Amino acid sequence: MIGTLAADVVLFGPGIEAAELTALFPLLTFVIIVFFGSYLPLKGAIPGIAATGGALLVALWGVVDIATGAGPRHETLLTFVEGVAGEGVTLTFGILIDPLAILMLTIVSLISFLVHIFSLGYMNDEGEIDLPRYYAGLSLFTFSMMAFVFSDNLLMSFVFFELVGLCSFILIGFWFREAGPPSAAKKAFLVTRFGDYFFLIGVVAVLGTFGTAQFAGSESFVSIATEALETGASEGMTTFLGFGEQAWITVIGLLVLGGVLGKSAQFPFHTWLPDAMEGPTPVSALIHAATMVAAGVYLVARMYGFYVLSPTALSIIALVGGFTAFFAATMALVKQELKQVLAYSTISQYGYMMLALGGGGYVAAVFHLTTHAIFKALLFLGAGSVIIAMHHKENMWEMGGLRSEMRVTYLTFLAGSLALAGIFPFAGFWSKDEVLFETLVHGLGGSPVLLVAYGFGALAVVLTGFYTFRMVFLTFHGEPRTDLAADPEPVRWNVKFPLAVLGVLSVVAGFLNMGVLKEIIGEENLFLHEFLDGVTMDADLDAAGLSAHHYAEVLKADFAAGYEVAELNPLGPGALATVLAVVPVVGAWYLFRGPDVDPVMTKLGGLRTLLMNNYYQDEYQVWLATGVTLPIAKVANKFDQGIIDGIVDGTGGVSLFAGERFRRIQSGIVTNYAALLTLGFLLLVLVFALVGGWI
Amino acid sequence: MAVSIEWYLFLSAAIFSIGLFGILTQRNALMFLMSVELLLNAANINLVAFSLYWGNLTGQLFALIVIALAAAEVAIGIGIILTVNRNFDNIDVTDAATMRW
Repeated sequence: MIGTLAADVVLFGPGIEAAELTALFPLLTFVIIVFFGSYLPLKGAIPGIAATGGALLVALWGVVDIATGAGPRHETLLTFVEGVAGEGVTLTFGILIDPLAILMLTIVSLISFLVHIFSLGYMNDEGEIDLPRYYAGLSLFTFSMMAFVFSDNLLMSFVFFELVGLCSFILIGFWFREAGPPSAAKKAFLVTRFGDYFFLIGVVAVLGTFGTAQFAGSESFVSIATEALETGASEGMTTFLGFGEQAWITVIGLLVLGGVLGKSAQFPFHTWLPDAMEGPTPVSALIHAATMVAAGVYLVARMYGFYVLSPTALSIIALVGGFTAFFAATMALVKQELKQVLAYSTISQYGYMMLALGGGGYVAAVFHLTTHAIFKALLFLGAGSVIIAMHHKENMWEMGGLRSEMRVTYLTFLAGSLALAGIFPFAGFWSKDEVLFETLVHGLGGSPVLLVAYGFGALAVVLTGFYTFRMVFLTFHGEPRTDLAADPEPVRWNVKFPLAVLGVLSVVAGFLNMGVLKEIIGEENLFLHEFLDGVTMDADLDAAGLSAHHYAEVLKADFAAGYEVAELNPLGPGALATVLAVVPVVGAWYLFRGPDVDPVMTKLGGLRTLLMNNYYQDEYQVWLATGVTLPIAKVANKFDQGIIDGIVDGTGGVSLFAGERFRRIQSGIVTNYAALLTLGFLLLVLVFALVGGWI
Repeated sequence: MAVSIEWYLFLSAAIFSIGLFGILTQRNALMFLMSVELLLNAANINLVAFSLYWGNLTGQLFALIVIALAAAEVAIGIGIILTVNRNFDNIDVTDAATMRW
């Protein structure tokens, strides 16, 4: 059956009961801007700001709702394929609002709201053309991400995951009249699509194995899988290819992970992200902080109950995450363009989130996702402000000394950088430290793989501090190195306001979850942890299988990942992380202070060349495409053109030739027709005579 | 003493053969048309003969329909012949041979 809209949808009501609005507002705006964008004042910015602002209010209301006992809300909105008589699968769109979802909705709407305001300064004030297309893209992007966040099943997630990818394609390629952006957009689309291909197989595998793709509840695939491993009751799941239950769960987990690695730009699928800097800077902020790239990590967090069943999948996630964190950070060391440094830092920071998820730190990952969204949006918008001031020059060697001319930008950018570097007490410190701490305690509990991943993560802290402050010192300190930098263009309130909001949040967001101090302030004051545990809710979130506590329990169970937790005071690793972060910052200050800066990174010689070329990752991927895929595609094309099409064309050719000859009996002379009629009739009589046995 | 059925059939077959010979050999459109009439009426004789033989009126009814049809066909046929004559200045059926591939 198609299009059964559940009758009891409450469109207008308070808090989580109206959480659909977070997606519907931007969707409505998208429609309005598509049709009337060119007639609207500011070319569609106002509806966009109103919609995301409205979404932010609804999301905040939802947070209050959940903090005062409501939720979780799980409701099917639309059933578009219904299984017949209990057989087959039922495909639905639904909404699942739990602490994780409402937190993410808040982040997305906040960032999107601020990005819209910033766009007034970056796009409208700069006199860009085609703005309705830009604002329509932003609205569709926000809508897709919102719907992805509150998806209650994997198929719906996949649909909106793809839509998010499409929107980033549209927005990265916004300036399609130049050469770079369309190419970058295409690359982003293709690379993420490569990962999504595995995700699609994963969705089919989940539906085939469990008959459902629901995330939550006792009928969800997560519950069925947990049940199957815990009690051995495997009638709910059908494995394929002769795999055992846990091995098959690992396979499915890794298939879905393909999509995650692509979207979250993890090694080896990270190559699209630096190129995506070709898009407008506010779009970069949106993509990196809250939407596109966050989608991958969010998906793992969303179905974390499934991943904790497979120690193999978790180890791979942790290792890929840790390695990516380190690997991307090395490349950020030598980049000369402001946005490139930020791009690699994004890859690196999402590596931390993957590391936390693989290392068993669900809360740590969500916490880092939150703080990173804030400070990375801040840094990108700050970079956007610098770019406006520098008349779209992005090379840091052409800047310098901007601090005195751009007070607000400098201070907020500094706050964001301190957060990124993980300096106490800025937001990034608390979350990054928790990521490392969680990985460490689970690693010391007997998982050497996690210790390796932890090592990568710890090294990346050093590199992060260094490249972040290299960027800050080159851009804002010293003497102006060009005339442009000496006299930057001033920016208006619409640039300063988002920066100020995010700057304040970058300082205070860490207090949500001061994990380092948990021995001192007590576990009950880790607000985010308690929130994600559903402590504030009347309903039992453990029973729904969505709480951090539930994940931790399953993580320790022998039938699942079987992680052990080592006893460790968080203060020690916290102190270590602080030292690791502060030392490179001081080092960067030592190297890049002063009016005349030496380009010291050039002393790295061959290593620098390697880093500047991104370890030749692009080259080998292009080689894979042109050297391997293209020949295979050519052979397949030959087969298709030659054999498949050959048969079809041959049939047609024979018919055509026969027709060409046969039509000559159509002489146009009526007597011939009469003769042929007679002959035909006689022939027929003869046939009947032979068959009927008259002769 | 009724005429036995075979004779009717022989007559019908003879007329049919004459008609068939006519459409295969005649180039004059009027002769052609007349040959078609012969074919139709050969069929009519069969219908009426069997109707008589079986004592069933259905055959005669069909014969009437065929006669009406033949009248209509002649009307159209004459019209076509007139047009052919106007275009080719004769009524040779093999001249009008352009309606083909």
